[in-house]
Formats: sequence, C-alpha cells, structure tokens
Amino acid sequence: MPLSDPELEDLLADMESDRVERKESAQAADKIGQAICAFANDLPDHRLPGVLFLGVKDDGRPAGLAITDQLLQNLAAHRDQGNLLPPPSMTVRKVVLHGQELAVVEVQPSNTPPVRYKGQIWVRVGPRRGLANGDDERRLNERRRSLDLPFDARPQQEATLADLDRGLFSDTLVPSLVPAAVLAANGRSTEQRLAALRLTTADGIPTTAGLLTVGKDPLRFLPGAYIQFLRVAGDSLADPIVDEKRLDGPLPALLRTLDELLRINIRVAVDITGGPLESKTPDYPVAALQQVVRNAVMHRTYEHTNSPVRLTWYLDRIEVVSPGGPFGVVTTASFGSGITDYRNPTLAEMMHGLGYVQRFGAGIPITRKGLADNGNPPPEFEPTESHVAVTIRSRS
Amino acid sequence: MSAPVITFFNNKGGVGKTSLVYHIAWMLADLGHRVVVADLDPQANLTTAFLTEEEIERLWSGAGPGRTVWGTIRPFQEGEGGLGSSTLTTTGDDRLALLAGDLELSAFEDDLSASWPKCLDGDPRAFRIISAFWSVLQSAASQHAAEYVLVDVGPSLGAINRAALVASDFVVIPVAPDLFSMQGLRNLGPALQKWRTGWRQRLAIDLPGRIALPQGRMDALGYVVLQHGVRLNRPVKAYQRWIQQIPDVFRTSVLGSQDHSPAPAIDADPFCLGQLKHYRSLVPLAQEARKPIFFLSHADGAYGGHLQAARDAHGDFAVMAERIMERISEAVEPRST
Repeated sequence: MPLSDPELEDLLADMESDRVERKESAQAADKIGQAICAFANDLPDHRLPGVLFLGVKDDGRPAGLAITDQLLQNLAAHRDQGNLLPPPSMTVRKVVLHGQELAVVEVQPSNTPPVRYKGQIWVRVGPRRGLANGDDERRLNERRRSLDLPFDARPQQEATLADLDRGLFSDTLVPSLVPAAVLAANGRSTEQRLAALRLTTADGIPTTAGLLTVGKDPLRFLPGAYIQFLRVAGDSLADPIVDEKRLDGPLPALLRTLDELLRINIRVAVDITGGPLESKTPDYPVAALQQVVRNAVMHRTYEHTNSPVRLTWYLDRIEVVSPGGPFGVVTTASFGSGITDYRNPTLAEMMHGLGYVQRFGAGIPITRKGLADNGNPPPEFEPTESHVAVTIRSRS
Repeated sequence: MSAPVITFFNNKGGVGKTSLVYHIAWMLADLGHRVVVADLDPQANLTTAFLTEEEIERLWSGAGPGRTVWGTIRPFQEGEGGLGSSTLTTTGDDRLALLAGDLELSAFEDDLSASWPKCLDGDPRAFRIISAFWSVLQSAASQHAAEYVLVDVGPSLGAINRAALVASDFVVIPVAPDLFSMQGLRNLGPALQKWRTGWRQRLAIDLPGRIALPQGRMDALGYVVLQHGVRLNRPVKAYQRWIQQIPDVFRTSVLGSQDHSPAPAIDADPFCLGQLKHYRSLVPLAQEARKPIFFLSHADGAYGGHLQAARDAHGDFAVMAERIMERISEAVEPRST
C-alpha cells in the first residue's frame, strides 16, 4: 500500500526521521543505490517503508529539479540492474507536495535481509548511512527467522553444515560475491559468511539456496533440482532418442556443464561458396539458449515438486519446460511484458554473482534479440499455472 | 582546473600499453570516478578492446560524420567549419565513456606535421590544427563531466603523437624490461623535452584574436613495468637486469636529471607506479568476454585458481590507479597554492 500524500508531507517535513533521505538530484547513482539498500535492510526495525525524496535540499526546501519520465525510469532501473541484491521491493513515482514536483522512491523492508549494494551491506545509523558491522549483520541474519521467507531462503531442517561443500564456497562463491575490499577489511568466519549470504540460517542450518548453490548433493534434499536433456532425431517424442543426459550438482557446476552442453549441440553451418567471404551461421544463437535455460533454473519452483527443468532438442526446435507458473506480480497474462518478480531471490543473487545473469528483467529481451539477429523465428512462451514452456525454432 | 589529461606513451610498441590503459580506465571507473578514455592511436586497438567488430563498423561507416575522434576533426581539417563537439561511445559502466579511435586518423599526420613550423609564423589555423586533439578531449571531458581523461597513443615519435602530447597534462610511461623498451625510453625523454620547449616557444607568440590553447605540461608522472615472461616464444634473458636499470634511465632520459647519485631501487622508487605481472591465461578469457581481467566471473570461464587470480588482479590495478591519482593530485596542488 503506497504512502498517502499527507503521510509523505509529514515525512518530508520530519528532519529527524531515519526513514527519510533527501537528494537534490539523481546525479550520484551510487548514493541512491546505497540509500535504497539501507532502507531495504531496515536495521532500526521500523517495519515501515523508507522514503527517498528527489528534488529537495537537505533542509527540505525545493531544489527545482525537473521530474522527467527518464529520471523516474532511471530510478526504477536500480531494482533490476543487479547491483541491489536480492532485488528490493520498491515503487517510484512523481508526486506534487506543496506545489513542488518531487520524485519519490518508496522502499519496503526486505523479508530476506541483508540486502547488498555492489556487495556491501548499507544500513541506517540514526540520520546517517553506513556500512554494517559484524553485529549489524548478525541482527539482520537473525531477523530472517521471524519473517515469511521465500522458499529458497528457508532452512532445510534435515540438512547440516556437513552437507555443504566448504571448498566450493570459499574458492568460488566468496570471491565471486564479496568485493575484494570487503574481504580485506573484515575477517569473518566461513560460517558467518554462509549465513550472511543466506546459504544457511543464523543457526547454521543450510537453506534451499545453500544446498542448491554449494550442496555436496542437492538432489538428496531437492529431488527435482536437475536439468533433463533429451535430443530427439525427429520432431516428436515418438522419434528415436539420440542423446540423453541428466545435469545436476551444485549451481556453479550445473551452469558450467549446461554451457558446454549447449555449445556442443549447436551446429554451425559454414558457407564458403555463397559469397566472397565465408560466413558462419549457428542454427541457434547460444546467448538466447543460455538465457532461456538459466532463467528456467533461476525462476523455477523447487517447492512441492520432483520435476526437473526439461530441455528437449528436436530436429526443428528446442523446448524448455520449467516447473512452476509465473510468480508474484507476474501472471500468465502479463508474462513477458517487462514485469519481473523473483521466486528465488537468493538463487538470483548467486547467479548474478557468478556472472550468469548480468541484469534482471533482461532475459526475455536478450532472447528475442539474439534470435532475431541470428535469423531465427521469435521465441514462443507458454506460461501456464503450473509450468512455463518456451519453444525456440531453428533457422529455416 | 579542468579534468587532467593523462597520456600513456612509449615509442616501443607491443609492451601491453593499450591493455594497460583499458584496465586503468575500468579501474578508475570502478573506484567511482568519471572517466573518458580516448583512442588517439591510428591503429585503434583500444577501440577494438571495447567494441565488437560490428559495433565498430557502425561507428565508422554510419551516415553523417563518423562518431570517432577523426569524425569530429575531419570537417574542420577539410575546411568545412569549426570543430564540433565530440561524440562519445558508451561502455558497460556509465561512469566510463570511450572516445573511439579511427584508422583514418593517420590522414591527419601530414597536416599536423606541416602546421607545427607554421605556428612560429603566427598562423592561427596552424594553432587550431595542433590543438585540435586538445579541443576534442576537452569537449569530451565536459560532456561527460569527467574527472580524468586517459589517452592511448600509438608507438611513435611522429606528428600525431606530438599533438596528443601537447594536449596532455601528464604522461605515464609503460616499459617492458628488455633492451628494446629501454632504448625506446632513452629516445622518448629527449623527444618529450623538445616538444615541451617547442610548444612553450609557440605559446609565447602573439596571436591575433583569442584562441584557447593547451598548456602542454606533459609532466611525467612515472612509469609502469609490464613484465612479459616471453617474447617470440623465447624467454627474455635476465630481465631482472633491465628492471634494475629503469629508475636510472627514467631519471636521466625522461626527467633530464643531472644528479649523478645512484637512483633508488625500483621497489623504493616513487616514480614506479606499478609492476604488473603477465596475467597469462586470463588475457584470452578477458578478450573473449570483452571485459577487464579483474571482472572475469565464473560464467566467463574463470574457475578456481583463475577466479582467485582475477581477484588478485583487481587488487594490483586498484593500487596502481590510486597511485596515479595520488601523483596527479600532488602535481596539481602546489600550483594552485
């Protein structure tokens, strides 16, 4: 429920409140990202949205900033750029208070704290903003206990720390997700790091995301967490199967083998007679396929299902089916129209850190563009209540 | 003072200069600064590090004037009006903008070469030609609200580089520890000195009308040692020997020092801005991914030890970038007091 104008006016006038920040312009993008991050973390535990006003001076007087559509879009883009992880819930709008146009960014407290901006946890300390220290981090980790968590941040009660591959965590995840400056500054233990990245609870019980990302055997706890690859010599499942593989393992291994598998299966036609220069044309653009399958892994449901992501490679097309229908604000009707939501925010953060997702909300546009540039027909999306299916057709 | 222009210059090619500029530019942006990186090398290698072939093709062959350095200068050089404003190309980071290079820039060489002596006759056009790079860089810097302008130039002591250096406040010299690079360093010092005094002479000339002109400071901030383990598949012989010579050669040739007391060891030399090792197997990964080695991720193929090496590289470049900024502020401060 967005704040009403009188509520906003009160907040704007309240010079003491730590739920408010004022900025004269949108110049310093980093500062705005940090402010959103701090509000999403809600260290003072207000359980109320934090508000960032743009177009006002520190003392509350108007700064005469023109609130353009572009400005509002740039503000909204903070959510999907991948710098704020997990993506916070926020709204951006233009309001007129006391006859003055302002841009208002309203940030809801996250239900999976800590939220990071560029790898660092920002919090409000009184009227100022600062980096979280070890104690703040612990408080944020503890807070998750009392919140209604997304499935991937919930503990898997039967699992223990011994089910996580510590080597993989410290060699691959930590250098990927924690900026070097932070690593140098704080000597936290592996257990603390696991909890702060939501791979375990504050008590050290692995979460779903923890088992999927660095679990020694994720399938023991999440029997559907694999990709079923099938290559068929024909255009229906009744035709002979020429290859069948099951891709599983912790996330970094899964995504790496997936990339290899896609590259091996793509065929590149080389034309040496059609023109003065030889031209190479793949039957499918690898970037588009990667987007589709990586998004299936990221957005699928891991709850109440033993179903894998199915990747079926026919002679004329590829079908990718992932369990779980559109999630949250995305519905079967609005699917693909630019609205995004995250069923597995922690998993999204891991995939971003590992470099498999560059920015959020870009998967479908990248897929469409990749296919169009390569001369393939556009992708066909079929979102249903229980599944999302994507069909990609070969170049004819 | 407007944004300082820092040119990376060495007249021995193949030492990894362009890659150094590319990485320092990304690092300065990553440290939160607004940076313009300009490619004044007619080989346009820096531009290829940022853009794919298709993107470059669009820059070079699009309708209207090319969206490159030369695209801005050319109409003016051909006598069709004044210098327009520069066209910048965006990169993956909005704090970092590229002023793209152009193979046709080499066509400017003759005019630059002929204009240099004509300045002495008080010819205003000659001054405008010689300072064209400067105008383009300043226009780019103010458009992008840049704090630093980094310039990559080709390995030569020709007229293009002379004009690029006249436009520069500072010079960083990348050196490889080998015979060729050391000899290059010996030739470069006197050339810099000659250009600096040559430009001062020209600045003293009374011109009709007011033309904004660069100061042509060309202050040598220091050098960066790029350690390549191999050249032509043969290990470079005893390169430690060359490394030890660098502080001395830099002082006598580049700084023109008459002081004959021994130079400090390289690790204690304040002019040594950094010593970079060769990030062997990371380089092809980074070129493939079109990003600096310190941003390589698991998805780019940097696993295990490679990932660790990429993170270490982040530290090395951060230290060097901080050092360069520190030296610039030291050089700028005393003048303003």
